[in-house]
Amino acid sequence: MYSRKAQIRALVGAIIVMGATPASAHGIVGARFFPATITSDDPFAADELALPTVTAFNHETDYDVDYSKTIFPGFAISLGIGYADAHPPGGPDATGFTNLSVTPALELWRSEEHEAIVTAGFIWDVGGTGARAVADRASTYTPEILFGKGLGDLPDSMALLRPLAVTGQLGFAIPGAQDTSRSFQWAGAVEYSLLYLQNNVRDQGLPPFVAHLTPIVEFSFSTPTDAGGGFTTGTINPGLIWSGQYTQVAVEAVIPANRASGNAVGVIAQLHFYIDDIFPHSLGRPIFGGKP
Amino acid sequence: MRYALMAAGLLAGTVAAHAHAMLEHASPGAGATLAQPPKAVVLEYTEALEPSFSSVIVNDANGHDVTAGPSSASGSTMRVPLKPLGPGTYRVIWHAVSVDTHRTEGAFSFAVSQ
Repeated sequence: MYSRKAQIRALVGAIIVMGATPASAHGIVGARFFPATITSDDPFAADELALPTVTAFNHETDYDVDYSKTIFPGFAISLGIGYADAHPPGGPDATGFTNLSVTPALELWRSEEHEAIVTAGFIWDVGGTGARAVADRASTYTPEILFGKGLGDLPDSMALLRPLAVTGQLGFAIPGAQDTSRSFQWAGAVEYSLLYLQNNVRDQGLPPFVAHLTPIVEFSFSTPTDAGGGFTTGTINPGLIWSGQYTQVAVEAVIPANRASGNAVGVIAQLHFYIDDIFPHSLGRPIFGGKP
Repeated sequence: MRYALMAAGLLAGTVAAHAHAMLEHASPGAGATLAQPPKAVVLEYTEALEPSFSSVIVNDANGHDVTAGPSSASGSTMRVPLKPLGPGTYRVIWHAVSVDTHRTEGAFSFAVSQ
């Protein structure tokens, strides 16, 4: 049986991991542009910077920074770190830097025609790099599979559903600490691209600002797999993403999926920079194998 | 954090950059139904195009090419002339490479009613 403290730490850890892991990459597959998701990882290895991601949820505010760098085309390493400011009711305040996370991601397969992509990732939450009050001493290792699929290949009779796309993230978190349960991490997003609607399905005459909006619902869950590991926890996050040429801005509500996940609705917001578009000839290129 | 955000914002706003060429406007537009057949398809992008690697084709419902010549790109605009079109549905398929070599693509249909 895991201690109450270990369960709380696992819950906080899961929230931090799900909210702060490198929101890997904005990406294009075929005619589909996937904006970077913010509470789940998306399946792109790209050059990008999320600065900052601010999450206010469960009496805690987190400020996170994530930077992703392509090493060669289709392979990137992301670094993430944050600052947590927690004020749990009835408990001591806890503030400080969270653990550094390191996430290599390798694109395994993509189909331009079907707007589909599959990527393998490995999240290493580096134990002991954060403040003792908010971060585990032991590392957590999470191998994961990520995928994305646009519905642009639907038949003409379902043309208005073509702007829909889904992304998913399936991982298994293996904590180094003996008193924390291993857990199945499952997250993803359902999104409807108004830009795709405008450019590939039906020109609705939308104003430019509106045409760059993507209504989105993300979700992010953690299910302990060891006996006594606690309940499934997670959030459902409806919101909007505005994607420009060089940046995107996202705001989502954070709705606890059950009582074990929280008691009140929070909010998450992110400013995101497409480094490959801002610095196409230098910082935004892969270190090896990039086009000149 | 506030200063980092300001610095990043200044960085993004002041650096001369190029980006993916995203389709900004199409004539005819996606899903349009036209009473008069168009003489050309004109596509306008958010970035300047690399003419050698950018192209657009237009096919009829049977997949036959209905363009009257090769497509051309100048600045951020790409166009292709069309043969006289009869009533029917036509598919526009484009590939664009921006001057910094970012690649994008897309496709849409339009119809001619008479």
